[in-house]
Amino acid sequence: MVQVINLTKRYGQHVAVDQVSFTVEKGEIVGFLGPNGAGKTTTMNIITGYISATEGSVKVDGFDILEEPEEVKKRIGYMPEFPPLYLDMTVQEYLNFVSDIKKIDRKTKKQSMEKIMDMVKIGDVRKRLIKNLSKGYRQRVGLAQALIGAPPVLILDEPTVGLDPKQIIEIRNLIKELGKDHTIILSSHILPEVSAVCERVLIINKGKIVASDTPENLSKRLGDTGRLSVRVAGPERQVVKLLRELPGVKSVDSTGAKEPGTVDLLVEAEKDIDIRRPLFHALSRAEYPILQMKPIDLTLEEIFLQVTTEEREVS
Amino acid sequence: MLAVLRRELKAYYLSPTGYIFMGFFLLLSGFFFAFSNLFTASPSYLGVLGSITFIFLIVVPILTMRLLSEESRQKTDQLLLTSPLSVTGMVLGKYFAAVGVFLITLLITCIYPIILSFFGTIAVWEIVGGYVGFFLLGSAFIAVGLFVSSMTDNQVIAAVVTFSALLFLWILDWIIEGLPTDRVSGIVFACLLVAGAVALVYFSIRNIYVCIAVALVGLGIVAVLYFTNEFLFDGLIVRVLEWFSLLKRYDNFTLGILSLSPIVYYISFSSIFVFLTVRMIEKRRWS
Repeated sequence: MVQVINLTKRYGQHVAVDQVSFTVEKGEIVGFLGPNGAGKTTTMNIITGYISATEGSVKVDGFDILEEPEEVKKRIGYMPEFPPLYLDMTVQEYLNFVSDIKKIDRKTKKQSMEKIMDMVKIGDVRKRLIKNLSKGYRQRVGLAQALIGAPPVLILDEPTVGLDPKQIIEIRNLIKELGKDHTIILSSHILPEVSAVCERVLIINKGKIVASDTPENLSKRLGDTGRLSVRVAGPERQVVKLLRELPGVKSVDSTGAKEPGTVDLLVEAEKDIDIRRPLFHALSRAEYPILQMKPIDLTLEEIFLQVTTEEREVS
Repeated sequence: MLAVLRRELKAYYLSPTGYIFMGFFLLLSGFFFAFSNLFTASPSYLGVLGSITFIFLIVVPILTMRLLSEESRQKTDQLLLTSPLSVTGMVLGKYFAAVGVFLITLLITCIYPIILSFFGTIAVWEIVGGYVGFFLLGSAFIAVGLFVSSMTDNQVIAAVVTFSALLFLWILDWIIEGLPTDRVSGIVFACLLVAGAVALVYFSIRNIYVCIAVALVGLGIVAVLYFTNEFLFDGLIVRVLEWFSLLKRYDNFTLGILSLSPIVYYISFSSIFVFLTVRMIEKRRWS
């Protein structure tokens, strides 16, 4: 559906995107992960035809962005990081204008607008000026704008940035829902977000794609699933000693006491071993109650460091 | 294009811009009408139209400063440029919106000659011709403002630069009067034009050999022209600058003469600036 071949964008001496190639199949939800300034937005801006690439090509549904820009643009709904909203218009006027520039048939315009407003839940603010809307609502109007014209491909640049947790969950669910009949490329710098929504993740750093895989494979490949944070009521030395003797435990580190009479530990297990049950039984036999136990997700920085160092070792 | 045109027209009247433009324009033209027609009981309305052309220097920047600069500042150009709308359609929509506001204002000033007609006979067709010229002159100035607005995302800079550019066009005739018209200066000027072309080529492709080729060809043409028709260089500066003299072409309209050539001139002048605006936006996307 979307083919990106050897995309390069140079700003003078600075290379923002460097020989990026990837393909997105129809119906896929692909996450673009990377720190700020990695080239996510630039790549998206090129795919949507907002700026031009220095080299390389982008094809959507077989149409080249340079040769047939209109055909490509018709097929893409784009929500940039800062939704392009006219603050002096009401929500309805704005969506009406977007429908006009996207050349939606007059007869179906009203109906499709209603459907979209319903989907992103902005029907109750339709008469309000965009200027007076909260960040969450603006974000949704931005999403509504991308959905107008029923484009088969959606490109969402940091769709949840600046939203509160409830809104983030709503938007994620909406994206999943949209993923059923859309091809979606979304960017983020938050790993859990990408793994919650996407089927495939592209990690981009300094303009280069450094990894491309499913979220599960990515964390498996990085081989670091078994890290637990545990709070145990008991004396530190004995607890640590007990846990170190458990089979499958690689290391135990104390992170200090946060409650009196307890100790917080960071337990690291060997690859592919779930130590939660043996850990529970051991501590319960010794009568040291577990007050809290939770697995630690890899943070983006860690994945990132690992992926980038891996690359360096290879090359 | 129509969608952009509608939105822009609405935006003019949702913000104070449209009202400031119209208010200022009508206030000044009202003054001039009162002083030169009503108080002196003179029926010559074309004189009023002629003397209020300086108004463009002040009101055109108001009208055009936000047209494209605001889009790029608010990032709403992302919406327009990633929609199936063509850049030309977008620019034309904006240009015609600004021209539309100007036209509406101009139609209101039609009250003045109607008032005059109560007190005697007025030369209807002369006034219509005068209005055509006035409208075309204004549209050409608006095209310049539109172009300037596409170069920056700062409205204040757009306004100031537009004002300076219009001021230059305005005093061009006086500048021309003071310029030398002899042959040597004409040749020097032609060489400077060649140098300008070379600089333009250098900054766009940065290839020194092409530049040398362009310079040689340019100087060759100058030399050939000099030996075939040396009179060509007499007053060359003046003739070239006169191409840009918008006001000179307006003189005929104030005299009540409606001829085709200034009309074609104004329309081409506007078209060139609209075209340059489109190129400017395209260029920004490539850099």
